[in-house]
Amino acid sequence: MKLAYYPGCVAKSTGIEYDISTRSVCKALGIELEEIEDWNCCGATHCSNELLAVGLSARNMARAKDPIMTSCSICYSNLRIAALRLEDKHLRERVNSLLDSPYKGADVRHVLEVIMEAMDEGSVVVPLNGLKVAPYYGCLLTRPSLGLDSPENPQILERFIALLGGKAVAHPCRTLCCGGPIFMSQEEAASRSAFQILRAAKSAGAEAVVTACPLCHLMLDAMQRSIESRYKEEIGLPVLYVTQLAGIALGLGPEELALDKNSVSPLALVDGINASVNI
Amino acid sequence: MSNRSDVLRLAGDELRCCIQCGSCSASCSTADLMDESIRELVRLVLNDRCEEALKSRSIWLCTSCLLCTVRCPRGIRPKSLVAALRHINEAQGGRNPDQSLEDLFMGQVRETGRVSEFYLSALYALYNPTAAVQIMTMGLELVQKGKIDCEKSRISGIEELSRVFEGLEES
Repeated sequence: MKLAYYPGCVAKSTGIEYDISTRSVCKALGIELEEIEDWNCCGATHCSNELLAVGLSARNMARAKDPIMTSCSICYSNLRIAALRLEDKHLRERVNSLLDSPYKGADVRHVLEVIMEAMDEGSVVVPLNGLKVAPYYGCLLTRPSLGLDSPENPQILERFIALLGGKAVAHPCRTLCCGGPIFMSQEEAASRSAFQILRAAKSAGAEAVVTACPLCHLMLDAMQRSIESRYKEEIGLPVLYVTQLAGIALGLGPEELALDKNSVSPLALVDGINASVNI
Repeated sequence: MSNRSDVLRLAGDELRCCIQCGSCSASCSTADLMDESIRELVRLVLNDRCEEALKSRSIWLCTSCLLCTVRCPRGIRPKSLVAALRHINEAQGGRNPDQSLEDLFMGQVRETGRVSEFYLSALYALYNPTAAVQIMTMGLELVQKGKIDCEKSRISGIEELSRVFEGLEES
């Protein structure tokens, strides 16, 4: 299977471990990725001109030769919204009159569904040994509707965790927004949301959180220390990308999954899982 | 000055179908911090009190989570209303810390085609010194982990991208 990969802007910086682990896991599963040449930013949640947002995604989609795969939930949502709006013939003509090569429709996939479909019974060589993982969906993986799962009661992460040999713990903040898009301008409001999520996961007995969006990851992992000191509560919960969690179960090493890039180290957890296999 | 029809043109005419049920406000994760709830913003616009809606702090507390859009029984996209109000605010030269984040972000996309988190947060901290300490604290750790890319490059299709910006901007 060959896919056009749209990494998004954070793949080179704060989300570098997502990019590295995405490439490693896809390679291990025999999925060939070709990065969309000369892609541009999708505008994330900061483009208040919605027509322009459609145009930005249209340029990216028009450059893809194969079905498109992205790992960032914000990019995924924006690409999907643009594809839906470009079904309008007039808007499509208007946008295409501005592009070098015209947009002719696109199939947009998220890395989570791609790797789940590519995995078979033999793929998991290091089962997660019942590791208690809190699924965290955030918002844009399932919103707007008609994407990979229900926006109200999604189950794909629970199935994913079970597939890898882990145990999904139930908690009430699975789809509560992490506050990421407003964390620079409204830091207190954003930190409050992230704290609620981390605390819910911890109270449910989770040993780790799994997420599919680099901004959610930033809020829950990179911001975790600052949240701990703001709310005077110790959390110490590793937050793994879906591709890192899958990679561990596929038997990939810490470097291939860039596990040293996470702020809250997951290495002790991984050692525990590996030890359980060797017994 | 903006009026109801300007906002409706940007946010979608279906806004007129609002039944004021409040599903949007009830779904909103930052509703308790807002001066006007999302439902009230809709009502202000429909009653042609757009200037009040434009001044509301609420438009900067929206996280774009889209839960209101998923739940609206009338098919309204409240996020589009927020986007429309932000857009008009920008066009009217409104300046505040929240607007400056939007401007810096989209300014980078226009200039280089992509966003560098390093330059975005550095510039934002420069314009908004009160936010600087928090940004720098986290930034420092991320730099040590080699997660901050300081390279500023420009995509080669920047002319095509400029056409997209200019062609879709006036709407």
